[in-house]
Amino acid sequence: MPGDNLTLPPSDPLLALVFWTGIGVIILSLFMLATVFALRIGLVLKQRREQRFMARWQPLFAQCVDSVPERLPPIAQADHYTFLKLLSHYHESLRGSATHNLNLLAIATGMDVVARDMLMHSNMRARMIAVATLGHLGDKTRWNELRLLVDDPSPLLSLAAMRALLEIDAAASLAWLVTVIGAREDWPLAKVAAILEDIGPDRVALPLVAAAEAAFENAPRQLPRLLRLLEVAHSDRVVPAVRRILQNTNDEQVIVAGLRLMRDPRDIGMVRGFAAHSGWIVRVGAARALGSIGMPEDRKLLTNMLGDPSWWVRYHAARALVALPFVKIDELRKIRAVLPDRFAADMLGQAIAEHQSK
Amino acid sequence: MTFSDWLTATQWLFLLYFIGINSGYVMLNLLSLGSLRKYLEEHSLDDLPRSYSGFEPPVSVLVPAYNEEATIASSVRSMLQLNYPEFEIIVINDGSKDGTLAALQREFALVPFPEAYWQRIAVRTVRGIYRSTLHPSLRVIDKENGGKADALNTGINASRYPLFCGVDADSILERESLKRVVEPFLENPLTIASGGTVRIANGCQVSSGFLISVGLPKNPLALLQIIEYLRAFLFGRLGWSPLNAVLIISGAFGVFRKESVIKAGGYRHDTIGEDMELVVRLHRIHRLQRIPYRITFVPDPICWTEAPESLRVLKSQRVRWQRGLSESLTLNLKLLFHPRGGAPGWLAFPFMALFEWAGPLIEVTGYGFMMAGFALGVISAEAFITFMVIVFGFGFMLSVSSLLLEELSFHIYPKPRHLAILSIMVIVENLGYRQLNSLWRLWGLVLWAFGSKGNWGEMTRTASWQSKS
Repeated sequence: MPGDNLTLPPSDPLLALVFWTGIGVIILSLFMLATVFALRIGLVLKQRREQRFMARWQPLFAQCVDSVPERLPPIAQADHYTFLKLLSHYHESLRGSATHNLNLLAIATGMDVVARDMLMHSNMRARMIAVATLGHLGDKTRWNELRLLVDDPSPLLSLAAMRALLEIDAAASLAWLVTVIGAREDWPLAKVAAILEDIGPDRVALPLVAAAEAAFENAPRQLPRLLRLLEVAHSDRVVPAVRRILQNTNDEQVIVAGLRLMRDPRDIGMVRGFAAHSGWIVRVGAARALGSIGMPEDRKLLTNMLGDPSWWVRYHAARALVALPFVKIDELRKIRAVLPDRFAADMLGQAIAEHQSK
Repeated sequence: MTFSDWLTATQWLFLLYFIGINSGYVMLNLLSLGSLRKYLEEHSLDDLPRSYSGFEPPVSVLVPAYNEEATIASSVRSMLQLNYPEFEIIVINDGSKDGTLAALQREFALVPFPEAYWQRIAVRTVRGIYRSTLHPSLRVIDKENGGKADALNTGINASRYPLFCGVDADSILERESLKRVVEPFLENPLTIASGGTVRIANGCQVSSGFLISVGLPKNPLALLQIIEYLRAFLFGRLGWSPLNAVLIISGAFGVFRKESVIKAGGYRHDTIGEDMELVVRLHRIHRLQRIPYRITFVPDPICWTEAPESLRVLKSQRVRWQRGLSESLTLNLKLLFHPRGGAPGWLAFPFMALFEWAGPLIEVTGYGFMMAGFALGVISAEAFITFMVIVFGFGFMLSVSSLLLEELSFHIYPKPRHLAILSIMVIVENLGYRQLNSLWRLWGLVLWAFGSKGNWGEMTRTASWQSKS
């Protein structure tokens, strides 16, 4: 029978090495399994601790909507992170005097000092919450450290530092930060825009315009990104700068970003000019802009654009025609009926149907 | 070379193969551990309330449906509740033989829509396009049957937005799913595709298409698949992500940049594994044409799917997967060791080819050779036991390490009892289940080699959790 002369470990040294490797791997696996259970026990204990902390502190945080509670329990070191996370949660949810009360609460419990110390921590999680807290508190004592973090290779940490600096002192940091915003292509535009919106469209308008104008001269690669962010500004100050840039550029990405900002009927001539641009993406931008600032006489231009070789130009021209406030659906149907191009007629039919289903 | 020498050499070859494959997975595991830790730390504040800026790219959610009459309405209703600023849903009825279209018409008050349809990718004839009068962002395309890839291509043709998200009609999503899987596109403009972790829904409670609570199934096959999925996603894919070498994005839930996919020709309708084939092709095209790109993987559990609970259905699924893998690799063979192949061509592709594609053949032959040799007395008991110890040891370690990664990160299964059951499964899995899988996958390889034709891959679904909701 096989196995009658079984000797373990095998007598062959190489085979014995493999055998003991296998046994070692099994022992290591059992140790890992024990670690899984140890982690779970730790997790359960941590969750219970957090529940107790929340039960005690959530009512106190909620009270901050009106006033700072007078008697505050001490906070154990193990609860520091939970407190700061809760503080950030309330900060993101509340506005006005309530956030001031939250800051007084943090200072009264000494958590401002804790946040400053956590900023120096090597753990990314600790630094993230510290940066967020210092921003909410408007704490200037770590200004230089936060400035350095803006250059951190991690986009999320550096972006959090940028936000904190703006929360602490937007006037002092905005002019510098908008140049960084242009340069840091790894910062998600959506997140940067959300931060700038929080700061306030009026406050960010001029620094962004200045940065866009500077980029037009020295760093054209950054220009489309900065122009996109100008959409946050909603300001009349934006238009003259954008007009100047559009008059002096051939970069399609810049033109498209600029056309998104065209809301002044005085620019209609320039927009019409772009409707004949060789780049289809620019013609799309022009069609969209005509949809918002177009005049009655632009009906003909948009109708002609329905015959564009690009599907997207036809689509946006049709949507622009439908969006013009002085063009009624009946008139659009008449235009559609006499269109010689079947693709143009189909597109207008689709835009009318889309409009009616809203 | 004597017979004995040949026998010894063969034994060592199989042994080295098993050590090699498992060492490779251990390396992937270590890579995953690093990237998972970084991801969790960097995204530790993601659960704070934040508003959208309006700069998030809008997404077209494409839902191919074939004979989904029973579940399509609840699936679409759940997708309509996704938390994302701007998205449209396009359901593509791929010539269903049941009442899928009628169910959609009834539930969402569909009316014919005069769409100026633009066929950028060649597809089967579109019979009609409908728009919901209740939800303007919902459209339904009724087309001739052409398979899942053809349905997805039809959806791509009709989509309005720069990103599209392919979702299986029976996927169970979380409200934040879309937001999380789009995140890589915000963080890196070079991103062209992003996928997330798929988990097993059996045993969970689902209401109106959304996951309410996580549980474990009673069915042992489904339990074993939970460990498999943990292993496949938590380090099978996460490990490749930092190297930009993720070769698989599950068809159940993945987001793609539309223009990149159209330039690549869309989904191939002559393959079974159209989701993997597309991702490998995107790597090949971008690498060989020197176009900078990023294909990434988010570890968050964002999509839940039903696992087969019978051996017959499970076998059919695994056979299909293996055939899909074979097609995906052989159709993109140019990527393998291409001078411009980078990590996908020099690491992920050879790894996949050696251990996943040819793996079943070598593994089954190895098991067969060792067992037959031992039974016939030509292989010593020491050698046989050593082989079994090393195979079991590594298999056990890889399964435990996936459980460890799960416990270090998301600890989705809340009760200690869940953990105890899964711990038993990591041992049981190595005592026959993995070997059975290798056998099925070998059959898939044989079917692929002899060129048998694929289909939509229908799966008998029980949706046992739905009744509990």
